[in-house]
Amino acid sequence: MDQATYRDTPIAGTTVFTGERSRRGYRINKLAMSLTDEANRQAFKADQRAYMQRFGLSDREMQLIEKRDWNGLVEAGGSIYLLIKIGGTIGQNLLQMGAQMRGETLEAFLKTRPGHQGNAVEKKG
Amino acid sequence: MARVVGGIGCSHAPSIAHSYDRGLQNDPMWAPLYQGYAPAKEWLDKLRPDLIIVVYNDHMNRFFFDAYPTFALGVSESHPQADEGWGKRDLPDLPGHAKFSWHFAQSLIEDEFDPTICQEMTVDHGILSVLPLLTDNRWPAPLVPLAANVIQHPVPTPRRFFRLGQAIRHAVESYPEDLRVLVVATGGMSHQLHGERFGFVNPDWDNEFMDRLEGDPQSLVALRHHDYMERGGAESVEMIMWLAMRGALGDKVRRVHRHYYAPMLTGYGLVVFESAGH
Repeated sequence: MDQATYRDTPIAGTTVFTGERSRRGYRINKLAMSLTDEANRQAFKADQRAYMQRFGLSDREMQLIEKRDWNGLVEAGGSIYLLIKIGGTIGQNLLQMGAQMRGETLEAFLKTRPGHQGNAVEKKG
Repeated sequence: MARVVGGIGCSHAPSIAHSYDRGLQNDPMWAPLYQGYAPAKEWLDKLRPDLIIVVYNDHMNRFFFDAYPTFALGVSESHPQADEGWGKRDLPDLPGHAKFSWHFAQSLIEDEFDPTICQEMTVDHGILSVLPLLTDNRWPAPLVPLAANVIQHPVPTPRRFFRLGQAIRHAVESYPEDLRVLVVATGGMSHQLHGERFGFVNPDWDNEFMDRLEGDPQSLVALRHHDYMERGGAESVEMIMWLAMRGALGDKVRRVHRHYYAPMLTGYGLVVFESAGH
C-alpha cells in the first residue's frame, strides 16, 4: 500500500489521508464538496457525466464514480468524508458503502454488528 | 473573572443526528445511548453555564482542502447550520458570543495558538449531532466553535490539543466578566470508515482512553497519531480532541458521569468532568 507522505508503518486495510493523497484526489473531493448545495446535487443527478467533466475528472476517475467503486475512489485520493456526499446524492449510505469496501453484502456486514444482534457493548460508569 | 465550571467529552456521529431526527430515542438499538445521556443532560440543566466552548472538527462542510485551517475559531454572534450533502436538519442557528470570541482569539494568539478567525462559521454534526442530546433548550447558552484539522495529515499532535486546552482555560480566566464556562470536546472514538478495515471498533481501547483521560492524561498526550489509528481505526484519531477539554480542566478532575455504548460502527463515549483543583 502506498502510504505516500505518511511516515509510519502501514496499518493493514487502512489508508491514511495524507497531503499526497489529498493532492491526488483533489478533483474528486472538490466535486463531492460541491454536493453540499441542493442545486448542485440536482445537476449531478440529472447528468452525472457532464457534471464530472465540469470538475475536470479523468476518465478513470469518472469510471470509478460510475461504478461506485469506493475502494478505488479511496485509492484515487478520495476522502471518505467527501465520498459519503457522493454516496448520499446517488442513494448509497455509509453502511452500504462500507459493506462493499469490506467485500461483503450489506446483510452479511450487519450480522457482524453487535447492535444488530442485540448484544452491543455497553458500559455504565 | 470567568471560569471553567465543567467539561464534556463525547463522540459525534451523523448516526446520532439521524436517530434523533427520526425519533428513535426508544428504539432498542438507540435507547441505551439516550439513557446514557440522561444524567449528563440533567447535570447540564442544573449547571446553567453562561457560555459553551466546543472543540470539534468540521467534516468538509464549512471548510474544504482548498484552504484547510489547522485551527479555526468562530467569532460571530450566530453560527448557522451547514448542509452536509443531504439538506439541513430542523434546528435553529447556534447563538455565538462575539465579544468573548475576540478576547479568546487575542488570548490564544498570545499563548502561541494562531487560529483562522472566522466571521462566518457554519457548523456541522461535529457539534449538532450531540448538542440536542445534552439539552432540551435550544440553545442553553452562547456557543463558541473552535474547529481543528484531524482529517488531512499532518494533523496537530495529541500534546498540542492538551496545550490548547490549557490555553482555553487561560483565555477564560483572563476574561473580566463573571462567566461560567463549559468546555466540550467532541470526536468519534474507535471507528474506521474506509477500506477492508471498515467497521473496526475497539471497546477495550475506548474505555482505556476514558480511564486515562480522567486519571493519567499525560500518558495519552505521549502517544503518536499512529498509536491511535492502530488501536482505534484511522478515523478515530479525532479522539485526541478530547485532550483539549481535559487540558482546560486543570490537574485533577472529578468525574460526574461516564457512559459507553458500541452498537454499530463506532464507540459512543461520554464523560462529564468537573474541575477538582489546579
